[in-house]
Amino acid sequence: MVVKTLSPMAVQARADILEFELVNHPLDCPVCDKGGECPLQDFTFRHGYPTSRIDGPRLHFKKPIPLSENIALDRERCVLCYRCTRYYDEVAWEQELTVGQRGVQSFITSQFDQPLQSIFSGNIIDLCPVGALTSRVWRFESRPWDMTHTESICSKCAVGCNVNLWQRRGQLVRVTSRENDDIDEGWICDRGRFDYTDVNDPSRLRTPRINGAKATWADALATVSTGIKGKGAKLGISLPKDITNEEAFLFKRLLDGPLRGARVKMHGRTALPAPIAATLRIKDLDAARVIVIVASDTESDVPIVNLRIKKAASKRGARLIVIHPDGVDLDRDPNTIHIRNAPGSAAAEVRKLASHRLLKSAGGPIAILYGDGLGSEEMADLAKSCRDLADAVGGNVMPLYRATNERGAIEAGVAGWDPLDGIEALLSWGPPPTAGIPTSVKFMAAWDHLPRPENEKADVLLPATTFAQRQGSYTNLEGTVQFLRPPIEVVPPLKESWEVLVELGAALGLTLDYAGIFAIQRDAAAAIPALAALAQPPSPEPAPEPVLIGPAHP
Amino acid sequence: MADDEKTTDARPEHPTPLRGPDEGIPAHPKGKVPGVGADIAALATGLKTTLGEFFSPQVTLEYPEDKSPRSERYRGRHYLRRYENGLERCIGCELCAAACPVGCILVIAAENTEENRVSPGERYAKTYEINMLRCIFCGYCEDACPVQAIVLGPEYELSDTSREKFIYTKEKLLEPLPPDVQARLQSKAKET
Ligand code: SF4
Ligand code: SF4
Ligand code: SF4
Ligand code: SF4
Repeated sequence: MVVKTLSPMAVQARADILEFELVNHPLDCPVCDKGGECPLQDFTFRHGYPTSRIDGPRLHFKKPIPLSENIALDRERCVLCYRCTRYYDEVAWEQELTVGQRGVQSFITSQFDQPLQSIFSGNIIDLCPVGALTSRVWRFESRPWDMTHTESICSKCAVGCNVNLWQRRGQLVRVTSRENDDIDEGWICDRGRFDYTDVNDPSRLRTPRINGAKATWADALATVSTGIKGKGAKLGISLPKDITNEEAFLFKRLLDGPLRGARVKMHGRTALPAPIAATLRIKDLDAARVIVIVASDTESDVPIVNLRIKKAASKRGARLIVIHPDGVDLDRDPNTIHIRNAPGSAAAEVRKLASHRLLKSAGGPIAILYGDGLGSEEMADLAKSCRDLADAVGGNVMPLYRATNERGAIEAGVAGWDPLDGIEALLSWGPPPTAGIPTSVKFMAAWDHLPRPENEKADVLLPATTFAQRQGSYTNLEGTVQFLRPPIEVVPPLKESWEVLVELGAALGLTLDYAGIFAIQRDAAAAIPALAALAQPPSPEPAPEPVLIGPAHP
Repeated sequence: MADDEKTTDARPEHPTPLRGPDEGIPAHPKGKVPGVGADIAALATGLKTTLGEFFSPQVTLEYPEDKSPRSERYRGRHYLRRYENGLERCIGCELCAAACPVGCILVIAAENTEENRVSPGERYAKTYEINMLRCIFCGYCEDACPVQAIVLGPEYELSDTSREKFIYTKEKLLEPLPPDVQARLQSKAKET
């Protein structure tokens, strides 16, 4: 068969179709946030007519319509391709977005004009081939040609979705997905997409302070080291959930040395223990015939894994078994078997599953995903029961860590799970401890990027970088090590975290002789087998952009 | 004298070496030597030109008291226009900045709200700056603008005391348009 794409007929047909697409289009590219990266614009430029023969009235709608806090809808620009509603229905399993009216009068609308609630809503912005769905978070902030982007990793949860971070004039202006079929398949959740405005907060901390007065880094770190040195178990340390592998490695050196005995609590971490054997990969979920999800609301814990499960169920026919006390969004599959256990009894339910009819005759791989029921489960027992079940029925397990680099921090040996009660000195890195600052604290050093009321009492306040300025790597929940590429420079007096840790080590009397991140990565790779991938960071060269070829106008 | 020799050696070599001390003066080129008559004729020709120019009409001007007339289409400093109702024309689309071959325009857009309406429609330019030191007055920005907001005016005498003052901000660019630009825009509108 020969397909002619350049025959006069084909060229003419393309131009005619594009003319039809533009019958009701408002042609307001100059004020449209998609302008410059809009397929409709590109196709019309390349294949369409230079002028229009349509001079009748165009369809008008009120615009822009806020679909939710984050998304604006412009019905005039919509070409009614139904990608957004189809995504909502088939991929996200939500019914919030739909089409109103029929025929030429059709328009996209949210159900009953209610704001969109789904945590997966932002993907429709990327999907929409025109500027009908745009982000309200970076509305009109920049044109595509003003921004540069770096290929980085989302820092909000342990899935480790690949993202592009876009900056303009030193501000992080947007976050978009970057397809990695092994992990995210091009989707990211709304936390990853919209939760970045703190990076540009004008009140960001920039200089170290001692008792509220500006100080140099040397003085501030000396004060910190006097306050925390030799405290042993009286020293509590709160770690951020997005600590990088490199920082964790350096921090472990401090914990093994001058800060020996300190009690550590990592933000947002689950009670899951370190995996004892090879765990399942996210991409393996595609092939699973039965997926057992224990003690985790995957939609909020690990959103993009939740989309993989949905894909396995709706496109590949996998059966789902959920063990959870409450309703979860996977119940939307009518075939889901939902076992509602009493909180704390998940391990017992898992043991009962070994004789389950579905698992005995699964006819293919079985995936067992388990979380910590937000702390309600006895984790050592649950982890063991899941591993036993996997061995009994021939499957594999996937522990669903929640904190961004929880798995890396566990491998590095810093992911503590301590209530921090009765401590006298506190080093609060990242947001303050969720349980509040213990009243017994006499000395507090806070290392954070935003001023917060909890940090007002801090004796020393150190400015921290954000994920958009940080070099390093995260280990995601399946154990893949992925590298961050910061789009925004660290401008002095701000310092990179590894540099601060090296200097803090010096103040505490421990020589960490590192001049750059690569040396740290080499040593971390040699010291911790799970971080061996750090030895060869991939080249930062971005893949070349595809070039459109073909004739222009008919 | 060993030291002296060293300093001579250390001197950088001249790209086209001067004549050495032992080289003779080249001989005068051979040929006919012009006579006195030819010299006087040349002098007379020169004086004729001088006197001729002295009595011909003057083409130079006593700038800055006198100024030359400029073409109607002269491209000098920029102006941002407003609509008659006072709203700014500029919609912050950044097309001028994209068209500018030297990249001297900075536009940062923002959204109009009911309380703060700067331009018609959804979008306006929160920041609009032109670096006049970089501008080459090509007029591409004016061509690119979809709403004829940015135009080039007749002023060419741009001088100031610091580089910073050459970053023309929105306040400066929104100054009222001189009448001859209005006339030019009207004639341009008639043509198209
Ligand atoms: S994806 Fe965009 S163009 Fe397509 S139907 Fe949805 S809103 Fe309209
Ligand atoms: S699922 Fe997790 S890693 Fe992926 S975008 Fe959401 S928060 Fe980021
Ligand atoms: S006249 Fe030319 S160089 Fe000057 S701002 Fe406009 S486009 Fe740029
Ligand atoms: S001057 Fe014109 S081209 Fe430039 S941003 Fe404003 S509207 Fe757009």
